[in-house]
Amino acid sequence: MLMTALEIIWEYRVAFGQGLLVTLQMSAIIWLLGIGLGTLLGWYAAGHTSSVGRTIRVVAFVLSGVPTIVFLFWLHYPAQAMAGVVIDPFYTAVLTFVILNIIGVSDIVRGALEDFPKHYAVAARVCGMSERQTFRYIQLPLLLRGIIPGLLMLQITMLHTTLFASLISVEEVFRVAQRINAMIYKPVEIYTALGIFFLCISLPVNGLAIYLKNRFTRDVSER
Amino acid sequence: MLKATNLGLRFGGREVLRGLNLTIEPGEIVTVIGPSGAGKTSLLKCLSLLEHPTSGNLQVDGEGYAFPWPEDKKLVAPWPMLTVVFQQLFLWPHLTLRENILLPHAAAAKHPPARDFNRVVEVLEMAEFLDRYPNQVSGGQRQRCALARAILLKPRYLLLDEITSALDVLQVAKITGFLPELAKQGIGMLLVTHLLNFARHTSDKVLYLENGAIVESGSKSILSKPKTPQLRAFLRAAEVAS
Repeated sequence: MLMTALEIIWEYRVAFGQGLLVTLQMSAIIWLLGIGLGTLLGWYAAGHTSSVGRTIRVVAFVLSGVPTIVFLFWLHYPAQAMAGVVIDPFYTAVLTFVILNIIGVSDIVRGALEDFPKHYAVAARVCGMSERQTFRYIQLPLLLRGIIPGLLMLQITMLHTTLFASLISVEEVFRVAQRINAMIYKPVEIYTALGIFFLCISLPVNGLAIYLKNRFTRDVSER
Repeated sequence: MLKATNLGLRFGGREVLRGLNLTIEPGEIVTVIGPSGAGKTSLLKCLSLLEHPTSGNLQVDGEGYAFPWPEDKKLVAPWPMLTVVFQQLFLWPHLTLRENILLPHAAAAKHPPARDFNRVVEVLEMAEFLDRYPNQVSGGQRQRCALARAILLKPRYLLLDEITSALDVLQVAKITGFLPELAKQGIGMLLVTHLLNFARHTSDKVLYLENGAIVESGSKSILSKPKTPQLRAFLRAAEVAS
């Protein structure tokens, strides 16, 4: 079966390659914008807990209750109909997943900042360290230890979420697999091939998350 | 000279500190004793400017601070010339004890002389566990690390909050001998402690604090000949407890 899967990948390598490229393009945009804007939003929200912080918590709470596919369809059909615009499905999918990623990332960042023990910074300040030094040597390393593993796991989830884009006709790798399956009807082999693609992308990121978790998030609680 | 004049602190309607006057000269060891909730830690926070007093004046050498501090004016505290060792220690958990001690120096690109570092490590008996992380050592070892970090900053004024709380008797005895050595170098110290013998052996001056006010102060002789009924009662209770 694995051989057949590999044979299918080879035979339809051009189509798979194009689909994979679309998936990777989507993922790259979702990761970059999600992490960048989400971090900024989370940072801002942590400093404005009563306004932005509360809004983000509410939005994150609401969106966590809405299935991704419903949110995607809502932005693809009714939202565009109401606004009287037609947007390329690729951009609709990207917009949907970027919004979800921004909310997810900002929630992780905001939570980590709000829960950060202030006394570590106080200890640094009374030792004569400037605000910048305190941030660089104390706050940032401790925050990254808390944030990075969760952030990477979220990015893997976002990669997997891009599969939903096929439902609004984005020619990403899952849709390509469906089309090939419609032609040769070998679902086990084709979806195994698809699994191989995602494993190849996810495993290194997953491995990095586990490495960083083991390397940096050792138990630091005092006895 | 570190001088507090008529220092007060209010939290909401509650008066935590009331009209406190005290002076710490360079090289002098002042001990603050008193029951729980007397305001000892609040006093230490106000003197270190971690908490802004609501009234009074504070003078740290030539620099004066008048309170209440204007909201639109940034208060620049004289750290680390004036520094604190907290009871909770607050070591940075991602750094080894050695890194905890040296980071403030590394950040300022000024390493302490090896002689000073070695002397502090020797006196506080830290050589064996310097390269461990804070959660890999005991409370007493963490306490010594926090003390070493503060001492190596070469402050002029050092405020110490219950620094012996996790130490065994031998370590307390070591520190009892070490603090006067620091005082001889010109460091003025304020100790908050519940160990009366420690206070007797180290202090030049003792303040007894109760309900946010200094009830009695003087040389360490007030610990053997208290004048006020409050201090007398406190010493009697402390004797029973010990």
